[in-house]
Amino acid sequence: VSYAIAAYAITALTLVGYIALLSRELRRLKGGC
Amino acid sequence: MQERDAALLGKLARWRAPLGIALALLSAVYAWTVWSAPIDSTQGVIQKILYVHPPLAYGAYLGFVLTAIGGALYLWKERELWDQLAVAGAEVGVIFCTLMMVTGPIWAKGTWGHWWSWDPRLTLTLLLWFVYASYLLLRGFTEGGARTARFAAVYGLLGTLLIPLNYFVIELFQGRAMHPENLERGSLGDGMGWPFLCGNLTLFAAFAYCVLMRWELEMRRAWLADRAEALSGGGA
Repeated sequence: VSYAIAAYAITALTLVGYIALLSRELRRLKGGC
Repeated sequence: MQERDAALLGKLARWRAPLGIALALLSAVYAWTVWSAPIDSTQGVIQKILYVHPPLAYGAYLGFVLTAIGGALYLWKERELWDQLAVAGAEVGVIFCTLMMVTGPIWAKGTWGHWWSWDPRLTLTLLLWFVYASYLLLRGFTEGGARTARFAAVYGLLGTLLIPLNYFVIELFQGRAMHPENLERGSLGDGMGWPFLCGNLTLFAAFAYCVLMRWELEMRRAWLADRAEALSGGGA
């Protein structure tokens, strides 16, 4: 069970983290526009 | 930035909110279908990695194909926004490819007993990852400009040759590969089709969302750089 949970947790956290980084950078750039 | 590029930027930003809502809803349905999917009688719960690993692979392929399409359109039209799409496709593709190469070994450790094997599919996937990670390094370590964009476009186009090879290598090795065969219609057990479909839809929505944001980011960066250059040129 722990292997399956690890696979899903790593995928979800990476994608959410990446989207959060992109959102932050976009907000920063929009502030500069 | 040209007027039509600015219009596209506006459209990208408008698509983001509905796509984000769709992604959130799909994620909830996906989690439910994976949770309630039947337990495989041979592999047990670890088989549920099947609902995330192949969709990540399709996302990686799609990202690299977008890089080739963006590169080809850049070579043809010489519009910067196509080069920016190519960069977005490569970055999101590398992220999906990395996650594919993390979830695969997790399944392998639980099923084969070891994390990695120099199986043809695994080896070619690693090569594919290196090709596009190198593309991103090339873009990151050079100053940009038309020459870099043209070189990257050709490189990205050539890189896609690995995709069909990567997909069909198991058939080419005719049963000598360790990696399970590609999924075909009817190869999933009862009750496993829905979670697999939901996995594909959710990860496709996540892929599209990431590409839209990354493309918009690349366009805004270029626009700000152009504006800064124009201002400094005007002040000189």
